[in-house]
Amino acid sequence: MRTAWAIAAKDLKERLRDRSAYIIGIVAPLALALVFGFILSPVQDYQFEATFGVVDLDGGPIAELFVEGTLAGSEGVELLRRDSVESAMPLVDRAVAPFGSDEVTAEAVFIIPAGFSDDVQSDRPVTIQVIGNESSEVEAGVAVAMAQGFASQMTSVRVAVATVEEVIQAPVDRLATGVEVLGTESPASIVDVTAATKQLDPVTFYAAGMAVFFVFFTVQFGVTSLLEERHAGTLSRLLVAPIPKWTILAGKSIGAFIVGVVSVTVLVIATALLVDAEWGSPLGVAALILAAVIAAMGIVALVSAFARTAEQAGAFASLVAIILGFLGGTFFDLSQAGGWIADVRFVSPHAWFLRGLADLSGGDVGVVVVPVLAMLAFGLVAGAIGMANLRKGLRP
Amino acid sequence: MKAFAIARTNLIRFFKDRSSIFQTFVLPVVLILLLGGASGGSSLPKVGFVAAEPDALVAQLQEVLAGTGSFELVEFDSRDDAVRAVERGELQGVLIVPNGYEATLRSGANAELEFVGKASDQLGGAGAIVESVVTQQATLLRAARFAEERGFATFDVALLAAEELQTTMPPVAIEVSSTGEPWKLGGLGQFDVAAQTMLILFMFMTTLLGASAIVQSRRLGVTQRMLSTPTAARTVILGEGLSRFIIGLIQGAFIFLGTWLVFDVAWGAPLAAVTIVVIFAVVSSGAAMLLGALVNNDQQAGSIGVVLGLGLAALGGAMYPLAVLEVLSDTVYRVAHVTPHAWALEAFEELTAFGGGFGDVALFLAILVGYALVFYALAIWRLKTVMRRSAHG
Repeated sequence: MRTAWAIAAKDLKERLRDRSAYIIGIVAPLALALVFGFILSPVQDYQFEATFGVVDLDGGPIAELFVEGTLAGSEGVELLRRDSVESAMPLVDRAVAPFGSDEVTAEAVFIIPAGFSDDVQSDRPVTIQVIGNESSEVEAGVAVAMAQGFASQMTSVRVAVATVEEVIQAPVDRLATGVEVLGTESPASIVDVTAATKQLDPVTFYAAGMAVFFVFFTVQFGVTSLLEERHAGTLSRLLVAPIPKWTILAGKSIGAFIVGVVSVTVLVIATALLVDAEWGSPLGVAALILAAVIAAMGIVALVSAFARTAEQAGAFASLVAIILGFLGGTFFDLSQAGGWIADVRFVSPHAWFLRGLADLSGGDVGVVVVPVLAMLAFGLVAGAIGMANLRKGLRP
Repeated sequence: MKAFAIARTNLIRFFKDRSSIFQTFVLPVVLILLLGGASGGSSLPKVGFVAAEPDALVAQLQEVLAGTGSFELVEFDSRDDAVRAVERGELQGVLIVPNGYEATLRSGANAELEFVGKASDQLGGAGAIVESVVTQQATLLRAARFAEERGFATFDVALLAAEELQTTMPPVAIEVSSTGEPWKLGGLGQFDVAAQTMLILFMFMTTLLGASAIVQSRRLGVTQRMLSTPTAARTVILGEGLSRFIIGLIQGAFIFLGTWLVFDVAWGAPLAAVTIVVIFAVVSSGAAMLLGALVNNDQQAGSIGVVLGLGLAALGGAMYPLAVLEVLSDTVYRVAHVTPHAWALEAFEELTAFGGGFGDVALFLAILVGYALVFYALAIWRLKTVMRRSAHG
């Protein structure tokens, strides 16, 4: 075992002198995490804000209920009242705006037709018009939802009032009865609960994504240095020395493991201090990091079986790392992706690392067990095959 | 022409390496497939539905919710699984129907459904629609109960009357229409955005990684030997640049034609689109020459190439489309335009989303030519110094 440590120590010394090791291990992931954090931090601060136009051609009590009650009372909604359809349309359609006027200012316009209040109190068809601006899908969607909610309420009241008239076979004051109906509780009501969140904020997400993405590059030197030693002839010297073969592989592995763990740890601390990344419970984070480094080492060892030279091994491992990284969602959060990719991403250890950290942010340490085991499984299975292959190549 | 001979040698060196072939041709295709696949499938937000004891009313509720067209309704067996999916951000929210829903309502009691919504979902869009559907379903019960409470009729008689009325009475409706220009990315196909962004990302990165070959030639003394022959420094630089340009162009042409033929990606006006690819290959080769001139260690050139290749692509809208960055923040959008990537992508957007032609992208092309000129001028100035120094040293 002492020989293994000696080999590891020699490799580590070389690493410490190699400037590109710092670039790949620390500078690159940190720089990219900062870039992504910069691009996507506005997502976090996003507040719903919308400007809606409304034309009340009716002026009756039910129209007023919609405009003043539903629309004006909504959070984040600014309401622009217009007298006519002609004056409201330019709000959502640049094409009809008079020349030289400002750009489109509203995301949707509601038009309440003349006779609306009377019609709701009759059994005639009645319609609220919602005109959304195509380029503001989200806000226009909320406008539609608001109108739909109000319309459902009115349908409900209208049926209730008509039912009363039907059973007593006499007309009632429809408006007054309707207001009474509105005051009753709906038999089926919804209680809104806000879920706890097990998602990482963008800054932490990208710090974590880049950390696990680049650890697949930092641990490559374990294998590439082995192939380099073979090329340079120093491997033959090691092999004729009176030491067991496994100590060479062990030494290379220990070196790669230490470099991997140290670079990720430095990243965790640096992003926590520099950009307030919130990594969560240290114990859970540590377990995830160790497992991720082992997964990376195993996969790199497996891939290197297909390479003859150090350059090839590095290139193959990098390609696999890039594909697994994208697939695992280190560059794009795939948790809401549609289609097959939402499930397929878990064939990459990266996805497990991010899932582990996300669950950790909203739960106790125990939640990391499954992700850690998944990553260890990747590492050990791939590593066992890879090591067996590398061992075969250990000939003087 | 000596420059062509130098370029030819470099190209042979590049394509002899199996991993270069993988990186140039296979990797971009894999990533376009991945990204296209991610944006495909259903793009609607998802809402979960949990009902432990399905009955007629529950089935009806589920059917109406599934048909709103505003979200995709996903059935879950267990409340815990569904809530976890919301916490992980995979669902907008989940509607949980209590046990004995129909029986409770028919008995005259009130039923409470639970909607567990995503913490970051301030829009309330999905929640509002779910609520409106539930309200609508309860309409008849509400009417019957109101009539009963006011003593006008028994519950059953009133319910019968309400049921009949609902079939004859039109509901208060909404009529939705839209106007204005569609959202920039709205009309594009599944693979269009992925193809455009990956074309730009890979052309730049692959070419930039060639910087390490430039450094290698310098370190190994190949450059000095060329200079010791009657060859001008200008010719050597031209040859190196030419080989980088051709590699970028080959990859660009491959992605362009491949995605066009296989995925039916729309690239817009062909002449203008091809011009963008060619000019962007010049810009990328210029960036590679500059990096090759500034760095003295080929491994460092490689690592810096990866960082710049990915970082500039992220910043310039080749990962998150510019149209998305524009919505997020003005600052981010402005910073994006520091990169040549953003201008090339703007040009593609003009061609594909707005159906523009050569004239509409001329300004963007001119800006890209400007980048190429600056990169090459700096690289030549720096390389001449470096080469002369090492040739005499």
